[in-house]
Amino acid sequence: MPVNLDGIRTFARLAQNPAELARHARGNIELWANLFVIGWAIAFMLWQGAGFAVIVLTVFAIWAILAVSLNLVVGFTGLLSVGHIGFFGLGAYTMAILTSDPAYEQLRTEAIPTFGWTFFAALPVCIGLAGLAALLVGVVFNRFRDDIFVLVSFGFAIIAFNVFLNLRSVTRGAFGIHEIARPQIGNWVFDGEVEFLLLGLAFLALVMLISWFITTSSFGRVLTAIREDEQAIEVFGYRATHFKLAVWVISAMMTSLAGGLFASWTSFIDPNSFILLESVLLVSIVILGGLATIWGSLLGAMAFVLLEEGMRFIPYLPTEYIGQARQVILGILLVLLMLFRPQGLVGRYRL
Amino acid sequence: MAGNRENARGLPRLINVPGTRLLAALLTALALGYIAWKIGQAPPQALQFAFNGLAVGAVYALLALGFTLVYSTVWFFDLYYGAAAALGAYGVFYLRTDPSLGSRLDPNSIYVNVFFGAVVSGVAAWTLHTVLEPRLRGRTSPEVLRAGVILLAVALGAYTGIVLALPAHIHLTLSLAVGLATAGVIIAAVQRFAAALVPTISPTRIALAAAVPAALLGAWCGYLLTGAPGAGLYLSWGVSCLLAGCVALALYRGLYVYMRERARSPLIMLVASLGILLAIAALIVIVFQSAPRALPDAFGSTPWNIAGARIKGFNVFAIGVALAGFVGMWYLLKLTSFGRAVRAIGDDEEVSKVVGINTTVIIAVVFFVGAMYAAMAGILTGHDTALQPRMGLLLLLKGWIASVVGGIGNLYGAILGGFVLGLVEQFGIWDLAGEWKDAIAFVLLILFLSFWPKGLLPRR
Repeated sequence: MPVNLDGIRTFARLAQNPAELARHARGNIELWANLFVIGWAIAFMLWQGAGFAVIVLTVFAIWAILAVSLNLVVGFTGLLSVGHIGFFGLGAYTMAILTSDPAYEQLRTEAIPTFGWTFFAALPVCIGLAGLAALLVGVVFNRFRDDIFVLVSFGFAIIAFNVFLNLRSVTRGAFGIHEIARPQIGNWVFDGEVEFLLLGLAFLALVMLISWFITTSSFGRVLTAIREDEQAIEVFGYRATHFKLAVWVISAMMTSLAGGLFASWTSFIDPNSFILLESVLLVSIVILGGLATIWGSLLGAMAFVLLEEGMRFIPYLPTEYIGQARQVILGILLVLLMLFRPQGLVGRYRL
Repeated sequence: MAGNRENARGLPRLINVPGTRLLAALLTALALGYIAWKIGQAPPQALQFAFNGLAVGAVYALLALGFTLVYSTVWFFDLYYGAAAALGAYGVFYLRTDPSLGSRLDPNSIYVNVFFGAVVSGVAAWTLHTVLEPRLRGRTSPEVLRAGVILLAVALGAYTGIVLALPAHIHLTLSLAVGLATAGVIIAAVQRFAAALVPTISPTRIALAAAVPAALLGAWCGYLLTGAPGAGLYLSWGVSCLLAGCVALALYRGLYVYMRERARSPLIMLVASLGILLAIAALIVIVFQSAPRALPDAFGSTPWNIAGARIKGFNVFAIGVALAGFVGMWYLLKLTSFGRAVRAIGDDEEVSKVVGINTTVIIAVVFFVGAMYAAMAGILTGHDTALQPRMGLLLLLKGWIASVVGGIGNLYGAILGGFVLGLVEQFGIWDLAGEWKDAIAFVLLILFLSFWPKGLLPRR
């Protein structure tokens, strides 16, 4: 399969000629966005030191897996799903229940089943369950488009949150689940932050590879065609429904993979991590970074994580308002992007 | 964008699988049978649930009315609508929580007051200019007109700021506005009547003749208000509804107009308004903090006892507000020229522009009215339960579900759908716990979209 190296070749050509480079850079939002985010990330990590960088990168890896997998649905297929947090939560809760430590003393009134599996045994179950759930949900949701699809995906996120909060015999409701096991291969436990970061980056690479494979294959071209004109591709004999269902299930499985990682990393989860707002933030990451590019999702996730961490250094901003201030900035960014650049920073597709 | 309205709505066709209608009928029969069985088991409890359903349904109906008005005019999904509900409710909280009224949090801040003053003066400047410009064209120079409009708008903004800065004395600061509004309404009514009775007299002369008694009556109303500190709560309802409407108008005129010219699909508008919703929800947390807040009891909290069911007076009032809102909307849409213009824009915006409807003004009014309905629904919810910064999105979604259940774009469907949604939610949580009611609402939505995509009362 040919790899597209045009961007690198163009850059190499431009690097030899400063005058042309300057001409090329003028008004090139894509280039500046890349430079800005990457430069910001490097400067930030140099400033804060290695320990902080590892944590930031781990958070980035989880958000990036989410963004890349959501981009398959939103960017490449054109279905604006606000419900992916449901699959994220499903993965996280499956991982939590399967791997949480049975020896941990549980509240007697809220005893839940425990299994004490290891991370790598539980991960396939997470992914499989999410795939099954996505198949069931997808069969119903497949018929909706545009506004109505957004509405029902909101609905899915809210139903999922209700289940996490209220199905107390399985999820222990608002108390959350403690003592979720770290990943382990034989006797080697991924206890340290660096080891976990490597694991996260490995999974991110895997997810990116799968997305890249999907989007460059003929399957991906059919998805793009569905996004542009569903009826036209049906005329050519492709069942759009089946393709949409397939990409929906794949995306949900990758999302639940991120959920499993997240549960294992924080070792404690409660329903507050899976509220509708998180899902909206996730969609805004994908749109901010750029629709229909894998690189854009990485960029968006990095910008999002840096935005939160960067907020800490704004003078006169009380710490409890950091999340809110970030939300305000994201909201304003979304409005500005929709006005002036509907494809996102480095996107290939306008909403 | 108006041309491909059917696309924009994205409503699916009925499933083409044989037996779908049979399945739908079976589901309906099951649901109705379940409800009938439950009613037979415990009639007083059923009455209680039915009443709760109507009380919640009133709020949903109000939301659905405003939502349907906006959605069936511009055909994009405006998420600011949810923020308007939250703004309305928190506006009442803002105005009614002096330390002297017994609240620990005093959110009153100069930034908020200045911000809303600026919004009001911006909106007033545009409105005054739009109203006055055609009437005074040729009589005054544009510079004089502009200076006058700016002066008036700034004065209005400053007045709003003062009203917001002195929430404990709202009955004093607003008496001027109420007096002026009363006088204005009386003059307009007299003009209407006289024009119908004696068409030969010039309207100006009638207005002059009516001005003196109207001014007296207005002054009397304003004076009455100064002695009634208890009216502060009801005045704060009006103020926060108006403010939510003003923000909607400012957003429309300052942002959506430009965006709609460029937007290729309704999703762009949706995402942009999602950004606005995110920003407003976060700002609400910054001003009011994230803990749930309660509004003071409007009519006392002792419930009435009717046939074993306990009924709060405020809930009856909420149902009354919903019905009044429906009548008002019905009048506005079916009997006035404004309503005809709204329906024309909903059918085809380009053609309405061609035949001479000022679409910008009409849509601006639609946004204003819609946001006022949302704000009123938010206030009713706030009095009934509690305020939460995230309440807006959920209320908006409920309004959307109600209008889908009733039939998108249908006025009668909106109020019917609201009450149906409320009743289904309440009967649904009879056997489940109360926390599941959001899930029930969305299951109802998915069932309706799958089996009755056009709702109970389809649009024409």
